[in-house]
Amino acid sequence: MLKMAASAVRGAMVLRTDISRPVVFVRKIPGTVASSELREHFARFGHVRKCTVPFDEETGFHKGMGWIHFSSEELHHALQWENHVIDGVKLHVQPQKPKALQEDQTSDEERDF
Amino acid sequence: MAALLRPARWLLRAAAAPYLPLSLRLLAGGPGRPHAALCLRAARARPVAGGLLSQARLHSIAAEKKNYLQEEPTSSHRRNASQFDWALMRLDNSVRRTGRIPKTLLQKVFDNTCHSGSAGGNQALLLLRSCGSLLPELKLSERTEFAHKIWDELQKLGTVYDVSHYNALLKVYLQNDHKFSPTDFLAKMEKGNIQPNRVTYQRLIAAYCNMGDIEGASTILGFMKTKDLPVTEAVFSALVTGHARSGDMENAENILTVMKEAGIEPGPDTYLALLNAYAEKGDIDHVKQTLEKVEKSDLYLMDRDLLQIILSFSKAGYPQYVPEILEKITYERRYIPDTMNLILLLVTEKLEDTALQILLACPISRESSQNDFGSFFLRHCVTMNTPAEKLKDYCKKLKEAQLHTSPLQFTLQCALVAQKLDLAKVLMKALKEEGFPIRTHYFWPLLVGHQKEKNVQGIVEVLKGMHEIGVTPDQETYVNYVFPCFDSIKSVRAVLQENGCPHDDNVFSQAELRSKAVNGNLDYILSFLESNTLPFSFSSLRGSLILGFRRSMNINLWSKITELLYKDGRYCQEPPGPTEAVGYFLYNLIDSMSDSEVQAKEEHLRQYFHQLKEMNVKIPENIYRGIRNLLDSYHVPELIKDVNILVEREKTDSRKPSSSDLESKLEKLKAENQPIGDILKQLILMLCSEENMQKALELKAKYESDMVVGGYAALINLCCRHDNAEDALNLKREFDRLDSSAVLDTGKYVRLVKVLGKHGKLQDAINILKEMKEKDVLVKDATVLSFFHILNGAALRGETETVKQLHEAIVTLGLAKPSTTLSSPLVTLYLEKDDLPAALESTIDCYEKYKILPRIHDVLCKLIEKGETELIQKAMDFVSQEQGEMTMLYDLFFAFLQTGNYKEAKKIIETPGIRARPTRLQWFCDRCIANNQVETLEKLVEMTQKLFECDRDQLYYSLLKLYTKKQNIVFDNETYARLINLLLMKDNSTQAMQVKDFAETHIKGFTLNDAANSLLIITQVRRDYLKDALTTLKTALDLDQIPSRLAVTRLIQACALKGDTESIHDIQKLVNGLEDSIGLSRMVFINNIALAQIKNNNIDVAIESIENMLTSENQTVDPQYFGLAYLFRKVIEGQLEPALEKISIMAERLANQFAVYKPVTDLFLQLVDSGKVDDARALLQRCGAIAEQMPILLVFCIRNSQRPGKAPVMKSLLELIPELIDKEEAYTCLMKSYVFDNDVTSAKALYESLTAKNVKLNDLFLKRYAVLLKNAGESVPFTEPPESFEFYAKQLKESKETHL
Repeated sequence: MLKMAASAVRGAMVLRTDISRPVVFVRKIPGTVASSELREHFARFGHVRKCTVPFDEETGFHKGMGWIHFSSEELHHALQWENHVIDGVKLHVQPQKPKALQEDQTSDEERDF
Repeated sequence: MAALLRPARWLLRAAAAPYLPLSLRLLAGGPGRPHAALCLRAARARPVAGGLLSQARLHSIAAEKKNYLQEEPTSSHRRNASQFDWALMRLDNSVRRTGRIPKTLLQKVFDNTCHSGSAGGNQALLLLRSCGSLLPELKLSERTEFAHKIWDELQKLGTVYDVSHYNALLKVYLQNDHKFSPTDFLAKMEKGNIQPNRVTYQRLIAAYCNMGDIEGASTILGFMKTKDLPVTEAVFSALVTGHARSGDMENAENILTVMKEAGIEPGPDTYLALLNAYAEKGDIDHVKQTLEKVEKSDLYLMDRDLLQIILSFSKAGYPQYVPEILEKITYERRYIPDTMNLILLLVTEKLEDTALQILLACPISRESSQNDFGSFFLRHCVTMNTPAEKLKDYCKKLKEAQLHTSPLQFTLQCALVAQKLDLAKVLMKALKEEGFPIRTHYFWPLLVGHQKEKNVQGIVEVLKGMHEIGVTPDQETYVNYVFPCFDSIKSVRAVLQENGCPHDDNVFSQAELRSKAVNGNLDYILSFLESNTLPFSFSSLRGSLILGFRRSMNINLWSKITELLYKDGRYCQEPPGPTEAVGYFLYNLIDSMSDSEVQAKEEHLRQYFHQLKEMNVKIPENIYRGIRNLLDSYHVPELIKDVNILVEREKTDSRKPSSSDLESKLEKLKAENQPIGDILKQLILMLCSEENMQKALELKAKYESDMVVGGYAALINLCCRHDNAEDALNLKREFDRLDSSAVLDTGKYVRLVKVLGKHGKLQDAINILKEMKEKDVLVKDATVLSFFHILNGAALRGETETVKQLHEAIVTLGLAKPSTTLSSPLVTLYLEKDDLPAALESTIDCYEKYKILPRIHDVLCKLIEKGETELIQKAMDFVSQEQGEMTMLYDLFFAFLQTGNYKEAKKIIETPGIRARPTRLQWFCDRCIANNQVETLEKLVEMTQKLFECDRDQLYYSLLKLYTKKQNIVFDNETYARLINLLLMKDNSTQAMQVKDFAETHIKGFTLNDAANSLLIITQVRRDYLKDALTTLKTALDLDQIPSRLAVTRLIQACALKGDTESIHDIQKLVNGLEDSIGLSRMVFINNIALAQIKNNNIDVAIESIENMLTSENQTVDPQYFGLAYLFRKVIEGQLEPALEKISIMAERLANQFAVYKPVTDLFLQLVDSGKVDDARALLQRCGAIAEQMPILLVFCIRNSQRPGKAPVMKSLLELIPELIDKEEAYTCLMKSYVFDNDVTSAKALYESLTAKNVKLNDLFLKRYAVLLKNAGESVPFTEPPESFEFYAKQLKESKETHL
């Protein structure tokens, strides 16, 4: 029952505004590298909140893609850096697209009327 | 010998002489010989990218296929044909790109063919022909086995074999050195009632000769004689081999003389046979002599031939002569695939040292190239079990030669893919010696294989291997790859100890903890943490704990664990201390949940926070703020106050004034009788942010007269957050009294409605909604969504009246339109109560009121699950009646799919007459994506395969989205190519490039096909990425693709508009020789180069070169076809006045001095076309000959009459050149244009002037005119021709043809 209710809510979530997060999407990660190496590399640009390189449970290999979650807007440093090279392989680094733009709100509490 | 020659001579004389030279090499070919020398020129013009079976051959199958299609255009054949197309495309692409076919690909195509249940003759042929030298990675015997398997399986499927199939099988035998009895083969054919043909005999001779059986070959020659079949060079070449292999070199050499006597000059094939014969004997001297002889003759041996000689030397055990032949190889780029295939073949034949020698000799540009070369070799060595030490050495050599930057790493990767532990260990040790770190995850692929088979011993081996290399398994290794293999973690520990596998207790325990967390076993976690003696940092536990919490709803355990962590000396006592650590943990816990998860667990979370409060757990204020923002973004602000109670007040920032500071300041001001409005509001806002409702309300009561609306607004919101409906409502009333025109934020109104509704104050809630309407409060999408949440919450609580009345109010007030989302709670109400009849009733009711059917899908799913046949019938009858049968079928289809009743779903979607409904399919796809239903979506894609008009691309695209979302991409080349094509067609080049990158990382050698590359060029041009477009063009041409004319033209035109002459020249060089294949006229270059020059202000250069081309002795383009219309139009459009003037002068000069009228006429027409009628008239006056250029003028008329909006142009033209009206083509076009543009007046004038001249008008003309008049509501002054346009068009065409 709960599952159905949750799915109904999710269905309606299409409209929801997601808070945009500083996330970097990395591709072409070589096989020699896993999340700890990636984290180490990106730590120089700012605090890495989370770093995932999903492995395929069927093969034991990853698929060359990963996500770096920074804790603040420091990802710009990472994006501006041109040569992300680990183990002699150049990574492809790009911002993760935010799902939706957050709407700007001004509060009535700041108004004096 | 003599016996052999007689039939040959006799045959030669008998055969038609002209037949011989052309077909000599085309038809025969020894093992692995494609047609070559004689059609060399053809091959040059269109390079064949290697491949021992050429693409030309594959293409010829395609051509055969077309005929076959025309013969029997029934539906089953159409299906076969499209499947054939697919198979052909896959194999053809592979051959084109690499000159070979990977076994897996052939297997896949074969499996697919078998799966389809039938295979046409051509498809069988294609598969059989693929089993020879196109499979260099397979042992010769395996290839033949494969061919036999295909032969037998397809025969079982009912494929009928003809002589071409038998011939193909023979060729495969020859290419694979398969020993067989030719007589048995003939007997087999006879049994199958198939007559052998010349090719059959030729190949049988070759088979005998390969065995050194001259006698057998002679017998077959005898057969050929009785059948009057011609003897070709191929037969002689085979005889060379035959004699040589029987040990008779003298006669082998003699064959060449015999050939000459018989009137056939030995060609490269014959010489190659001889060369191979010497090579097999290790006779390098004769090889060299023969090569010199060939060099001096007008014959030419290609790299491919030399590679054959190398193969012969190597196989016969004379690798020492390989370098001498290698020296002679030119390494033309198109033979690189051939070289690679030879290398692979040598590795297959265990001649890997020779293979390396050839590899190292390849002149790959080493410094510039970033791509590694030799990976294919290393990979194949791993597959073929080349000894590890050898491989290590090869890696070293490749690196030294700068061919490969990381050969060891690459080979290791291959060893891991192939799950070869011993090899992997050797390679890892080598890497370690070179100073590369060996990482834990390298061992995962090795563990995976054993894990699947639950092979404990295998796992132990790998773990031991890890220890040997000095790598310690980490938590992930245990949890994901080791534990699943065992029944319990206890047994893992035991087995590891038994086998002497050392393990780190700390890591092991953490792994154990995590695997318990995955199952939500919080009891274990609590007792573990209580009894644990190992030093764990809190951060190392955090991930597992969050996982465990989310998988268990036992709040008491949540709290107990949190309390333990907070208070126990073992966990977070180190700085920054428990407050910070637990606060951060709470933040992470909520952050890790999705908004819907938090919404669903709202009550649980509330309970948790309150229990923590009881336990005196505190969190820092800054972390609280983070959590607050999260909750706000998740649409559960009601939880904020519950977290707020945990905030550690004592440590609040001391620099900011505290609420008590403000309060004393306030009292002071009050005592001094100063205004306190500002400070009061400040204080209220602060108390609100501290969630101190009690205090804030007291303050308001105390200083009521000094309250401003801002303070009230914040207070109302605070009360709403605290679920305090009573005070919220009172405050709202006071707020209104203070200023009845004041308006709250939308969000606050919505929260009020929510709280009031929740507390049964329905009328008040409705009043708030009315106020929103009256005060014209901005209702955004998010507001509508909030309305939905309010209604849905009430529905989940089962509050029927609240849902109904609020929904009614929202809809009738017009705050939001009824929609399937907004109105769904009306149905949810009953679904939650499992009252299916009422749920269905409510859906139907919504339809009757609002013409929407909310949650019909969920209702149907439930009905199916419960087996409520009658209600299903009712629902279907209703949908059928209201929305049509098709909608009903789709509803039912989706419901069956959703509930896993795939069989029923399949039946529905295969209902005759059902066709694709893109929006509905998309809806279901989106739903699957949102709910992560991979299987359901895959089933949908599978079941809709035959659905009429179904956009497969779109479905695949959805599947991609879902896979990407699940980070589980397992596509093949074709799917990727399809997606990229789709994205390009949707003009989404960024995404297309992303997918392409994906594909390139995941599929070795992934490339786009011709069509996709062409589309890509067009898109890049449109987006003004001309450099990229040029690169794409180069890539496509490098792959021997033929880009589309449109793509190349667009690119050239774009370069011209940029004035980039150089790029146009580059393109011209790139496509040199391919102009006809692309369909590119030389004029495209001439026009655009001139335009580019003009854009660069080099007008004189442009004009001079055009003039030269038109006046020089050796003209490349006939002046008649020297169309410059494009250039003129661009110059006119661009208002390049100086250029236009000079061009005009040039055109007139060409006309007046050289009698070249085409340019001036084109210019004239372009002036007319651009509406510059006066300029055109002036030009005509200066150059009267324009009016005589009837063919050019008529072509212009015909082209223009095919486009709308050209009536004014045609009218002007007729005014300028009135004699046009005498031409039937011209007046027909004129009428067509007028009709196109509904220009009745001009049409009338034309008709009248024609009838005045007594012109006999054709029926098509009259028909057009009549329809125009009729549509304009005018009468037709003649009898309208009764038949259709098509009829008269055809009639006119036929009458013209008979006149010719």
